[in-house]
Amino acid sequence: MGRKLLLEKAHVEGIRSFEVYRREGGYRSVEKALKTMSPEEIVEEVKKSGLRGRGGAGFPAGMKWSFIAKPEGVPRHLVCNADESEPGTFKDRYLMEFIPHLLIEGLIVSSFALGSNATYIYIRGEYAWIPDILEEAIAEAKANGFLGKNILGTGFDCEIYVQRGAGAYICGEETALIESLEGKRGNPRIKPPFPAIKGVWGRPTVVNNVETLASVVPIINEGGEEYAKIGVGKSTGTKLISACGNINKPGVFEIDMTISVEEFIYSDEYCGGIANGKRLKACIPGGSSVPILPANLMLKTAKGETRYMNYESLSDGGFATGSMMGSGGFIVLDEDQCVVRNTYSLARFYRHESCGQCSPCREGTGWMEKLLYRLEKGEGKSSDIDLLWDIQRKIEGNTICPLGDAAAWPVAAAIRHFRDEFEWHVSHAAEAQTRNFGLAHYSDPIHVPA
Amino acid sequence: MSDTTLFKVTIDNISIDVPAGTTILNAARMIGGDVAPPAMCYYSKLEGSGGKCRTCLVEVSKGSEKDPRPMPKLVASCRTTVMDGMEVKNITSPKVVDARAGVVEFLLLNHPLDCPICDQAGECHLQDLSYEHGKEGTRYEFQRRTFKKHDLGKYIQLHMTRCILCYRCVFAADQLTGKREHGILDRGDHSEIATMIEKNLQNDFIGNVIDVCPVGALTDKTFRFKNRVWFLKPMNAHRDCPTCSGKVTLWNRGEEVFRVTARKDQWGEVEDWICNECRFEKKQSSDWTIEGPRLIDRHSVISQGHYAGTVGTHMPTETIEAVLNGRKPKLLMDIHEVSEVNRPKIELSKINGPAHSNNFNPDND
Repeated sequence: MGRKLLLEKAHVEGIRSFEVYRREGGYRSVEKALKTMSPEEIVEEVKKSGLRGRGGAGFPAGMKWSFIAKPEGVPRHLVCNADESEPGTFKDRYLMEFIPHLLIEGLIVSSFALGSNATYIYIRGEYAWIPDILEEAIAEAKANGFLGKNILGTGFDCEIYVQRGAGAYICGEETALIESLEGKRGNPRIKPPFPAIKGVWGRPTVVNNVETLASVVPIINEGGEEYAKIGVGKSTGTKLISACGNINKPGVFEIDMTISVEEFIYSDEYCGGIANGKRLKACIPGGSSVPILPANLMLKTAKGETRYMNYESLSDGGFATGSMMGSGGFIVLDEDQCVVRNTYSLARFYRHESCGQCSPCREGTGWMEKLLYRLEKGEGKSSDIDLLWDIQRKIEGNTICPLGDAAAWPVAAAIRHFRDEFEWHVSHAAEAQTRNFGLAHYSDPIHVPA
Repeated sequence: MSDTTLFKVTIDNISIDVPAGTTILNAARMIGGDVAPPAMCYYSKLEGSGGKCRTCLVEVSKGSEKDPRPMPKLVASCRTTVMDGMEVKNITSPKVVDARAGVVEFLLLNHPLDCPICDQAGECHLQDLSYEHGKEGTRYEFQRRTFKKHDLGKYIQLHMTRCILCYRCVFAADQLTGKREHGILDRGDHSEIATMIEKNLQNDFIGNVIDVCPVGALTDKTFRFKNRVWFLKPMNAHRDCPTCSGKVTLWNRGEEVFRVTARKDQWGEVEDWICNECRFEKKQSSDWTIEGPRLIDRHSVISQGHYAGTVGTHMPTETIEAVLNGRKPKLLMDIHEVSEVNRPKIELSKINGPAHSNNFNPDND
């Protein structure tokens, strides 16, 4: 049983209210940080903790904070990215819904560290009820002197504003989020300049994921070095994983990144095994954008070592035989799932969510969707598979923002690992309409249902 | 400080010293020729443009003198500034040539290829781009996207199917006019240039969106279907205009002025913005003081051979008969025997208005 840092108190009765949260030890980090630490010390502590961005890229948070420009007389901003739209990822929603004060607490400490007097939470429009929860929490914190003017008598002023998005995946990209926050069309900006130099209204800005900011609370409470002891290697601390798909116990789990993928899928403490006694076929370990892996590569790396649930182990082998930790949206596919259909479904999502700004993504995502639809409907040609490969190659890396890569990777990985299934959809077009390809040599060799 | 610092940048093995803060694309344009990457969305006169079409992607094989690491991805040269000692590969990089061919294919994916009926044909940047950097065919086998038609008023014709979403017209309207009335609606491959809801574009300078449009998405309604640009002769002219500089290019056939555009430089960018009155209302030779013929410094395939003093005038001296040892080239069909369109008995410029197929029919007299 790993340690829980974020969700430990999430199920205490009434934890959403300020009184209960405070009674359970909440807002200690604000007192500690604002009264006894300087902003530089907090940044140093976060650096020591080795906390990596939980939004998907896994960039060290302390490093990101230290990049923020500090020109004289220009306000700085912290923006909390709660635009959690990655298919398969729902960890931030859980955190904000059950224990909103943890996010507010993390935001106050982080705002102090970065010198942000106006902090924004940009939340996706589909989470229609969560802004109310957050605003209530903000109001309570304000009434108790943890927000507003002169917090706890330290002279630090901070306001937190909740801004709702209008339901666009692209607004989870940090520069598109900033554009949208400013009230413009959510098109990603061309970098450089990076938000740390020119962000919201041209001011230095740091954009962090909800979970990253919430993780600042245990880091301050226990110290960066203590936090770094949890986990393994450069994957320090705990990570929220939202598991879904064909498993017995879908949901949000807090793991300490030392457990193996096999344990995570089959242990009753976590996913509880594949539902209905089926066998594992494939898994997308970090949200829809990351490469899909067949069961044998998911449980063991190409070198035959056990694969663990952490940043390094999941990306072991690069994209050829590995994947990514991503945002922690763990999607499990059992033997009844069709990879072609799954890939088509993802391609359709990316076609719909492309902002349309740069040509490879705008045109390429639509083209991939149409080709995959044709393959799925049994009208494809075998040359379509090579064409898909070529299209994804021409999108990847040639776009303004990572959405192009995110659209290309799932298609690339599906063809890389499941090419025989695509070819079967062409050669047995009629049969493919009536039954699924099922398992092949890439099936999970370990767990055969009794 | 920055304007005195010179950075040395090497593009395709040609070195040039440019002021700090210059983009790779502009440095390449200073060198000129084939080194300059194509640009469909970047427009040096429009602030904030560029970075979207991805045709100007280049490979940076050496970041700078201080940090010689190459950049991991291809970069958009129009938005990447040079560093001292930077080495850039444009046409010498197979990666760039391949990626650019991919971008051209993407841009043409949903383009209707209706060049034969498009007023922009002959001066279209997409035609040039696909001729120079594209492949001969497409691998796209699906229906191309279409849009509901939007009326933008009596001057500007919008063909959304031709649009490549370069955002130039949006930037132009933002920066030339007080209040932008059109913009991009929707998202992804169904995003479109439109007004909200069905408005005329009314501003003294809105006609300039026609000139900044790299394709035939925004064309001049007063010139619509009147003539092909390669039949027209461009003349520099000016008039005493109270709103704008009044410096324009007239496109004449005989004495008749078919259309008026702003003057464009060798990169196809407008030199001086002109007002709607000059562009749409002054279609008489008497309105203008003619300065002389305008040399079109364009690399367009269609403009080749039609304007004296441009590229493509170098012809082989040997005749075909000499090369073929006295044999004449064998034609499957002589088009002139079956069609009189290319040898009209009538004078096109004497026809009032656009020519109709009936005009070519000798029985019609």
